[in-house]
Amino acid sequence: MLNRLKVLPRDARDTLFLLAVIAWVIMPQVGNLPAWCSLLAGGVLVWRGWLALTARPLPGKWWLLGLLAVTLGATLYTHRTLLGRDAGVTMIVVLLALKTLELRARRDAFVIFFLGFFTMLTNFFFSQSLLTAAAMLIGLLGLLTALVNAHMVVGRPALMAAFRTASWMTLLGAPIMALLFVLFPRLAPLWGIPSDAMSGRSGLSSTMQIGNIASLVLDSSIAMRIKFEGRPPPQPDLYFRGPVLSSFDGREWRPLPPGLSQRMPPSSGLVVSGTAVNYEVTLEPNNRPWIFVMDATPGTPRVPGFQPTMTPDLQWVVDRPVTDIVRYAASSYPDFRFGPLSAKGNTLIGLQEYVDLPPGFNPRTLQLAADLRRDPRLATAGAATLAAAVMDRLRTGGYRYTLAPGVTGQHSADEFWFDTREGFCEHIASAFVVLMRALDVPARIVTGYQGGEINGVDGFWAVRQSDAHAWAEIWQTGQGWVRVDPTSAVAPSRIGSLQRLQAPTGVFAGALGGISPDLAARLRQGWEALNNGWNQWVLNYTQSKQLDLLKNLGFEAPSWEDLSYLLIGIVVFVSLCGAAWTLWERTQHDPWLRLLARARRKLVAAGIQVPPQAPPRELARQIKLHYEGAETARGQALHDWLLRLEHLRYAPAAPANLGARARLATLRREFNQLAWPDR
Amino acid sequence: MTPAPSLPNPLTSPVGHLQGRFRQWWQSRLPLTDTLALTQRNVYILPTRPGFMLGATLLVLLVASINYQLNLGYLLTFLLSGSAVVGMHVCHGTLRGMTLHLIAPNNLFALDTAFFDVKLINSRRSPRYAIGLSVLGTGHWSWTDVAAQAEALVRIAFRPEKRGRHRVPALTAETRFPLGTFRVWTVWRPAAEVLVYPAPEPLAPPLPPGEPRSGGASAASAQATGEFDGVRAYRRGDPMKLVVWKKLAKADELVSRDTQHAQRYELWLDFVQTGLPETEARLRRLCAWVLAADRLGVDYGLRLPGLEIRPSCGAAHRLACLEALALC
Repeated sequence: MLNRLKVLPRDARDTLFLLAVIAWVIMPQVGNLPAWCSLLAGGVLVWRGWLALTARPLPGKWWLLGLLAVTLGATLYTHRTLLGRDAGVTMIVVLLALKTLELRARRDAFVIFFLGFFTMLTNFFFSQSLLTAAAMLIGLLGLLTALVNAHMVVGRPALMAAFRTASWMTLLGAPIMALLFVLFPRLAPLWGIPSDAMSGRSGLSSTMQIGNIASLVLDSSIAMRIKFEGRPPPQPDLYFRGPVLSSFDGREWRPLPPGLSQRMPPSSGLVVSGTAVNYEVTLEPNNRPWIFVMDATPGTPRVPGFQPTMTPDLQWVVDRPVTDIVRYAASSYPDFRFGPLSAKGNTLIGLQEYVDLPPGFNPRTLQLAADLRRDPRLATAGAATLAAAVMDRLRTGGYRYTLAPGVTGQHSADEFWFDTREGFCEHIASAFVVLMRALDVPARIVTGYQGGEINGVDGFWAVRQSDAHAWAEIWQTGQGWVRVDPTSAVAPSRIGSLQRLQAPTGVFAGALGGISPDLAARLRQGWEALNNGWNQWVLNYTQSKQLDLLKNLGFEAPSWEDLSYLLIGIVVFVSLCGAAWTLWERTQHDPWLRLLARARRKLVAAGIQVPPQAPPRELARQIKLHYEGAETARGQALHDWLLRLEHLRYAPAAPANLGARARLATLRREFNQLAWPDR
Repeated sequence: MTPAPSLPNPLTSPVGHLQGRFRQWWQSRLPLTDTLALTQRNVYILPTRPGFMLGATLLVLLVASINYQLNLGYLLTFLLSGSAVVGMHVCHGTLRGMTLHLIAPNNLFALDTAFFDVKLINSRRSPRYAIGLSVLGTGHWSWTDVAAQAEALVRIAFRPEKRGRHRVPALTAETRFPLGTFRVWTVWRPAAEVLVYPAPEPLAPPLPPGEPRSGGASAASAQATGEFDGVRAYRRGDPMKLVVWKKLAKADELVSRDTQHAQRYELWLDFVQTGLPETEARLRRLCAWVLAADRLGVDYGLRLPGLEIRPSCGAAHRLACLEALALC
């Protein structure tokens, strides 16, 4: 096969190469495209490759029009529109593939290249990771290689030669890229972005159905990175609060409808004590208006470009979804108390929603609650005692923590308490809250992230999607809302240590982990530090960072106009340098000729007449004449020097470039030591 | 040899007329030289249509990056722009610094496809790719690569239109390497001159009858034998010295000199006797006859207005005759 490739006619070889590059550019998209689109594009590319290999004619224009019509129809069917981001990406990919069937004129080739560049950009809608960047760099080199190759019109040049030129161009273009990237003003979007722009990113959800978080656990991507000032707090304090879910319909936990939660005063009486933990969070986009901070954060975190507000549930939200990496600073107090301290009046006013249970669900759990209440010790006990009793039951009742709890039926709490006796944090929390409510204790579920681990390479604390967690809060008289994490009773190791259940890994990672878990961990840490650097320096490079840079460069009050001026200034400066170089190149700058001219000027200064075009030998003759009779030794030295100058240029035997530069340098040095004729 | 392209009528297309005038003025400023060193001053560069397309693509990429706030999109856009800028310099550098040297062509016949050679000298340490040369305005390109510190010979085809002594037509070298987004070219007026003979008439009538040497017999008898040119087919028994060996070497056919005829007649190719009204047509017929007579190896003389070349034969004689025809 390889041999066959080597003897392919140039046309076929170039076409196959271009097809391979196009396939490479489209490949990362496949997961985000409709299946028909991937299949169609792949099919067309394979078909085109076969036509090139067998030197068959290209299909007629009716074929193309037919395929185009099919594409339009299918896009309309899939996306319900031809506009917008996802429909656009689908169409561009198919158009790129279809255009290869129409490679006739030079213009067609250019259209393919430019569509290819655009397809590369569309990859970034879905991922801007380091891997994507690397893949697209290869794609760019491939496209440029194909473009350069297309312009090597003579013979059958090696693809390697084109690749070398393309690599050089990219390498030399990199400083220009860096300059523009750093200084090009980051503008706000020029016009509204279609609503589907930011879909396709995962994370916590605003509701909790059993199984939601367990699916997140398989996702070990980073949710956020934290740089603590000083030592990180102990692991059991690291609860990052997300949505609080208080309304249960038997299957799904939701936040309270807005009208109900308004009943509690917004401040909720948050009282903090102890020392603050200060830290900076780099939050990955989660496509939700949530930012995550540790419990509890009384002061507003500084989130550039957003307006954070605290909900009555103590969660911090911002005014629009987080669709890009954001960085913010916060200070939190692990010691805190909040919520109404006493239930005024007859019953739990404002807390009624937190004891509601849907009728017809979990009868056995209700029965369990009734049984517990019959226990004389618990009959009149407060919330804290009841919770302790339930936690005790979790600890001693043979309950297990598992990532694969199986499918739950209608009575999820019943199944957990009595049948399967195993579950993931969301099962445990849900069952716990149901039981507490059955005991008339106000309780609710809090979702968020718990724990994380430190990256030994760059010192950032990484919190992953797999750290997503659900825990419970119960209301106690005199205490307000108190966090209870039932999962810690079932699996103490889940909270408070680095050990945790590992989601099944890929074959390679598994094999590596099998050989050397330590090496695997270190590799992973190195990789993540690299990724974090990428996020911090490239993806999170915003206008505020640009302006910081200007401030460091000495601008008093930088604005984006200053950025433009700086950029324009640099461009002008570089252009002037280029112009100066051109001027210099136009003047005489052959070092040998310059040295000869200097020697001639010495002679002219001494009154010896030599024409401007005189060769060294003529100068030597004049010197000899000048010193005839007197000071012959001095004349001889100059004479010899001039003849050696001549020899350097005109000696026939010596290879032209062999040590010429060094010998010229020697002659130049000697020029200064020679005793030139006096004025 | 390529006459200055006639200018468009200033009344019907004033812009075209001005453009033509500008081009003429521009070319007349170029120095005449057989060796052209390409420098910043005589290498020109302009973006091509694909270049503008690339610019538009970059703009679209930039707008997409801004609108979707894609920092990686910015990186891609700027890397591509940087590569394009470097590509512009590479494109300009492909011609700049090279030396073109014309190898003066031999003399040729008008309307004949002729070639001349240009030597491209590359003294730098990297190869130069995809350089095209052509006669300015013809669009018939000859493409070549020049290896590092090497020379390449390019053969350029052209078709001289008019006889006479002409300068080698203006040449142009062009490249679009590496990205095709820029066109870099130079215009070169070589100093070398070339002599263009009239185009021989394609189906010229047979050679005219010989003229009797001073006071010889009439031409009628010679015409009767059908042997006008003093030769005839070889007959068995012809002495060896009568065989036209030159003809044998060229055409592999045995021809003998008609001794009687050769002694009494001499062949004159006369401007007046061509029987044609036009000067150029006459010269073309004469040219065809000179070639025919030379092919037969007989002596012939040429009579032009104001010029007479005594009958003779051989390469030098033929050249003298052709030159006279070219410059007449």
